[in-house]
Amino acid sequence: MGISKVIEIPVVLEIPIGPQHPALHEPLMLKVYAAGEEVVKVEINTGYNHRGIEKLCEKNSFYKDIFITARVCGICNLVHADCFVRAVEHILGIEPSMRAKYLRVLGMELERIHSHMLVNAVLMELIGYDTLFMLIMRDREAIMKAKEILTGGRVLADYVMVGGVRRDVNNEKIDKLKKILDRIEPRIKYYMRIYEEDPTIRKRLVDVGVLEPREITLYSLVGPVARASGIDIDVRRSDKYDAYNDIPFNVIVRREKDVWARMMLRWEEVLESINISKYILEHLPSNEKAVPDERRLPRRFPPGEVFTRVEAPRGELTYYVMSDGKQNPYRVKIRTPSFNNIINTGFSYVGHSIADVPVILASYDPCISCMERAIVIDLSNNTKKYVPLNRIVKGDI
Amino acid sequence: MVRLLKEVLKNILSKPATIQYPYEETIVEPDYRGRHYADLMKCIGCSLCAIECPADAIKMEKVPDEYKVNPANKRRIYPVINYMKCVFCYRCITVCPTNAYISSNEYRLASKTVIFSRELSLSTVKTG
Repeated sequence: MGISKVIEIPVVLEIPIGPQHPALHEPLMLKVYAAGEEVVKVEINTGYNHRGIEKLCEKNSFYKDIFITARVCGICNLVHADCFVRAVEHILGIEPSMRAKYLRVLGMELERIHSHMLVNAVLMELIGYDTLFMLIMRDREAIMKAKEILTGGRVLADYVMVGGVRRDVNNEKIDKLKKILDRIEPRIKYYMRIYEEDPTIRKRLVDVGVLEPREITLYSLVGPVARASGIDIDVRRSDKYDAYNDIPFNVIVRREKDVWARMMLRWEEVLESINISKYILEHLPSNEKAVPDERRLPRRFPPGEVFTRVEAPRGELTYYVMSDGKQNPYRVKIRTPSFNNIINTGFSYVGHSIADVPVILASYDPCISCMERAIVIDLSNNTKKYVPLNRIVKGDI
Repeated sequence: MVRLLKEVLKNILSKPATIQYPYEETIVEPDYRGRHYADLMKCIGCSLCAIECPADAIKMEKVPDEYKVNPANKRRIYPVINYMKCVFCYRCITVCPTNAYISSNEYRLASKTVIFSRELSLSTVKTG
């Protein structure tokens, strides 16, 4: 009886990608199991950046929380603050003026532009295209300047307040903002052309990290990730919050489903955001007061609970705020888009090479500091699953 | 590729976009949210800014006896901002009932030791 069959077991490598900046410079660990070059399983470990902001919100007054929630995420701070402020406005029954709503939208769209530019730049750095990274980052700086002109802060805006915004714009500022947007628009078109024409970019991004529409719905992925796979969802259109009811805009949807489509969709959204911003600067209602007197804002909060959502640069962001009639909120629950988009997408890395892992991760635009806030839920049902070697050999992963 | 090469050549010949910060000043807007401090001629010592500060960066302190302050400031206390804790949200400025805060666009606040607004605030009032 001789040996009839030899089974050769492939070496499975366990490669930790992260927690020191796996793609963007934020702590997240992807534990990648690879057979040779091919990724067979990815475990996503989070919890390096938990700051307990929800609890902090419960310990502070509603007005302090506006600034605390703005610090959940650096890039999309205005979106977080706007979502929270709208929740507080619903509790108080205050309606801001139309001018204030327009200015809020302007701030949020500027934020969307610079956020999308940042992730595109980072992705270029990841695939080794440092020249394009630097060019995009240089042009992004102009948008940061625009945000500084509008809000008074380059990154942290602290712009929204219950009943309106915290500073108004004058004609001089409007002219400056228009000039910046006019200068950036041809640059965005130029980058889009590079994305379409450059063979290196196409080779690295096309057909990588394909997400089928079924998977998007199954794992509740949101934002540009969903829209690049043909799922037509946008809170700006479905909720029509702030001034989105008045402003004409298109929701961009692509059907290519891969990393390239997600990045191109972001560029197209940037162009759409520039159009929205220009529309706002031209049609800003002039006969209304945008800035409320913060000394005369109500100090008593009636009991009630509110659920608000906004379309953050990364997708749908929701806030649940509950007031029990005291100075501090009874509960603040934040569900950020990255929480869905990163933790649920472990399946999408399988079958690609190790070098594609950071590229796919960056294409989901991870915002770890946003995501980490919801880690408690993740830890409570933390079921670590290790795949034994014999199952990998059978191909049963 | 050729398209990008053109861009690269254009950038080699143009002025650098980087600002050599400590030697060259960054251009900031005149209404950028920078260093701010209380004007003790206007401050009435109501402590509202210290109560409302989201970063808990403001502490109320006793004004030294030799300084003459606003007569409405009966308790002779004034806000001292810890710039290392301050997040520059300007909430103190907007809630102040007497508009006592002086704001500036000074952003160069790096320091090896903790810096406070004590000297700046006291410089707004006379001694004697």
